[in-house]
Amino acid sequence: MTAVSAVEAALAHRRRRWRPVLWLILATALLALFIGIGLLVRVLQSGTPYYSDDEQHFRYGSIGAEVASGIPYKVWQALPVLFPEEFPAGDYSSFGFLYDETQDLPIGISKRRVSGVDLVWFNCAVCHAGTYRASEEDEPQIVTGMPAHQLDLHGFTTVVLGAASDPRMGPDSLRSAMADAGVGMGPIERLLWNIVVFPRLREGMIARASRLQPLLERQPNWGYGRVDTFNPYKVLEFDWPAHTLSEEEVVGASDFPSIFLQGPRVDMQLHWDGNNPSLAERNLSAALGAGVTPETVDHGSIERVAEWLLDLEPPASPHQPGANAVARGLEIYMRDCASCHGWQGSDGYVFEGDLLGEITPLEEVGTDPNRLHSYTQAFRDEQVSELFKDTPYAFRQFQKTDGYANAPLDGLWLRGPYLHNGSVPTLADLLTPPSERPKQFMRGGDVIDPQGGFTSPPCTNENGCFNTEIRGNANTGHVWGTDLSAPDKADLIAYLLTF
Amino acid sequence: MSDPIFETLEFRNLTVKNRIFRSNISGRFDNEDGSLTQTRINWECRFAAGGAGAVISSYVPVRMDGRIIAGYATIHRDDFIPLWQKLGEAVRAHGAKYILQLSHSGRQMDIPGVHNMHRPSPAPTSKMESLHGFLCQAMSTGEVRQMVRDFAQGAWRAREAGLDGVELHAANGYLFTQFLSSAINDRIDCYGGSLRNRARFLLEVIEAIRDKVGRDFHVQVKLSATDHNNVLPWEGEGNTVVDTIQVAQWCEALGADALHVSTGSLFPHPLNPPGDLPLDVLAVTYDAMISSGVSGFRNFLLFRYPMLRPIFRWLWFRMKKGRPVEGVGYEEARLIKDAVSIPVISTGGWQTASSVRDALGHIDGVSMARALVANPHLPQLWAAGYVLAPAPCNHCNKCLGGAPKLPMGCHELARFPSRDAMIDQLMAVYDTRAALQIPGAS
Repeated sequence: MTAVSAVEAALAHRRRRWRPVLWLILATALLALFIGIGLLVRVLQSGTPYYSDDEQHFRYGSIGAEVASGIPYKVWQALPVLFPEEFPAGDYSSFGFLYDETQDLPIGISKRRVSGVDLVWFNCAVCHAGTYRASEEDEPQIVTGMPAHQLDLHGFTTVVLGAASDPRMGPDSLRSAMADAGVGMGPIERLLWNIVVFPRLREGMIARASRLQPLLERQPNWGYGRVDTFNPYKVLEFDWPAHTLSEEEVVGASDFPSIFLQGPRVDMQLHWDGNNPSLAERNLSAALGAGVTPETVDHGSIERVAEWLLDLEPPASPHQPGANAVARGLEIYMRDCASCHGWQGSDGYVFEGDLLGEITPLEEVGTDPNRLHSYTQAFRDEQVSELFKDTPYAFRQFQKTDGYANAPLDGLWLRGPYLHNGSVPTLADLLTPPSERPKQFMRGGDVIDPQGGFTSPPCTNENGCFNTEIRGNANTGHVWGTDLSAPDKADLIAYLLTF
Repeated sequence: MSDPIFETLEFRNLTVKNRIFRSNISGRFDNEDGSLTQTRINWECRFAAGGAGAVISSYVPVRMDGRIIAGYATIHRDDFIPLWQKLGEAVRAHGAKYILQLSHSGRQMDIPGVHNMHRPSPAPTSKMESLHGFLCQAMSTGEVRQMVRDFAQGAWRAREAGLDGVELHAANGYLFTQFLSSAINDRIDCYGGSLRNRARFLLEVIEAIRDKVGRDFHVQVKLSATDHNNVLPWEGEGNTVVDTIQVAQWCEALGADALHVSTGSLFPHPLNPPGDLPLDVLAVTYDAMISSGVSGFRNFLLFRYPMLRPIFRWLWFRMKKGRPVEGVGYEEARLIKDAVSIPVISTGGWQTASSVRDALGHIDGVSMARALVANPHLPQLWAAGYVLAPAPCNHCNKCLGGAPKLPMGCHELARFPSRDAMIDQLMAVYDTRAALQIPGAS
């Protein structure tokens, strides 16, 4: 067809010439729209899995730590691939994390999707789930609620902080490690990561390392089954520079406690130093230690865990001491120990005793003072004035104390090594004078010891060796029972093994 | 002492009674075939009666493929000679001279019409016109030579019609400018390249006209002193006044009798006609030109939507900064006058007697279009001692903006007591009292 005018012909020619470009632009626009919608749908996704079973919720349910403290799930999965020298077992069991085969994450690691990115971090179970074995040949049995005595949290923290500045954390190597770990990304997700996740990931890790590293440099290794509860809290939550912490307060590592049977503990002085009699405040404070913040905390989840823990019984002791010895031991216990610690009755643990849940002053108990000193009046004041300010969750009951609390001994067979700092491997050792207690022993084993606690052979290598000479590790104090006769001690131990 | 405005101006072959020329301006008064009408005679006589010394016709194409718009009389046919003769007689009857402007659009063709819409316009270049996107096709060397002959033929017809002279429209972006301008002419034959080559077409036309009409017929050349071709900033600047002075000297040497100095390598141009640009008027008239060029619709959008107008306004007005409206081309006309010995007429915003008197100390005449459209009797007012007409032209350029669709005349409502009065003045020129005939029965 002849065009009506030369201009029309020129315009038609121009249209023909530009048609491929227009199609290209249209296709690009559609693609951009498609990607945009994909990104939007992805970014709008937030939430965390719900576990109908309370114990599963305890093991894997989120308490809100991922948002502020977590790392992306895919990075979590890629780290063992990226740093094989740090993960000799190929996964997080290298640091004593426990896997129960129901999830690809260890117990104590929860997942939450935040703006389309799955993040993972700690929940309560990371520090309060452990294993035991009746003998070397047995399979480890997982017990939720017992101390995570096998967990090397210090080692894990050091590796994660070190990774922040490692060249392997660059996007390219991280991406290929993710693919190797079986958590590769689709095109939309890849875009989201390139735009948002990669730039922020490392920056966040480096920022955290820059605050925590100077603290760790002032502290000895926490060792297996132990954590410094309050000092990291000071530098991460309150932004106190590590160098401002006094020499007296800077070392504070102590054992993870068991968390069985919280109901009877209401109104006792909780925490090793008994600094708070409120279960709710203690729980929330512990959650902050796990990485939640007042902004990200999932109160519902924490309260569900707390409710479940109220009457969580420890498993029955597998020790089978002679009944006569137990009976004799009960007498000694009732005479010398029960007023402070309660006692094990035939129907379970009896939380009664004049001094149970009260604080014994440091000069009287004589145990290592570092944990007590790490909780300072200044820290307490900031906790009370700043955390959960103007909400019903605001802390009111924290107090600076002068000693350590008298704890109930339920589930005692799972709670070795003993004392707040785990400095005494067995009950038998605890009943010997401090000067005769083992100076060095291996921690982290889970084979139960007939003398109470877990077998803790003398040190053979540095990793896992607990040295009582190191600051915070003193095995002094708690001399009650050390002056008993050998038969009385044997009877007392027999009774204690039934706890 | 006599008033310099009203001194006679002696050209080699023509004497004009004063120094006032009606510059080139027209409406679509004529027939589709290019034959002129009574309306045009009325139009030209309005200025002759008002006292102008000479009326220079508006754009008169020498060929139908050189029209800028239908409705402008042409001089491409011998049988139009009697019509032009009548027009010349009418103007002279009012005491003025009539100079016919021989023109060809080249690529600057505003509305191609039925004769030209089907093909690109003949031009020195095949590069489309920059502002509207008018299409063109470079002429072959042979076609250029034919064009030279067609101009000479047009001049011969003007002389045959008894007109007082011709003017070659070698300004404002039409065909001659397209040859002259270094920013437009991209030829590689003897009509492109050096200034001498670019001027060759104009000079050959002058020579051909002289060959055709002899030495004793008034031939003047309208030149743009400076191209200022970069209205769109990415375009080249084109010829400077130094180039034009050289061209003017060559024109004189080949027998031109006078120079008429304008400016700009396109029309309209920010500096010609100087003054405002009524984008609101273009918003209702430029639609007639949308289909004329490949950029027409773009321009229309720029005029149509107030939000977009600042873009065009910036393009257009950046060049005007620091320049006067009245006598905008005076300094350049002076420079040219200093370099030649033939009379030089300056155009561009003139309408104040005192300014014109001052200018006439250096140049020989001024030409005006809008000032006389607003006040055809301005020469008489000047003669009566007025410096400025009581209701002077405000250089709003609404007459220009209306050109594609509206009747030619002053459209500045503020200058009239009422809209009816304005329309009455616009319609007055159509008072033709035609002797209507019965076709085929005369």
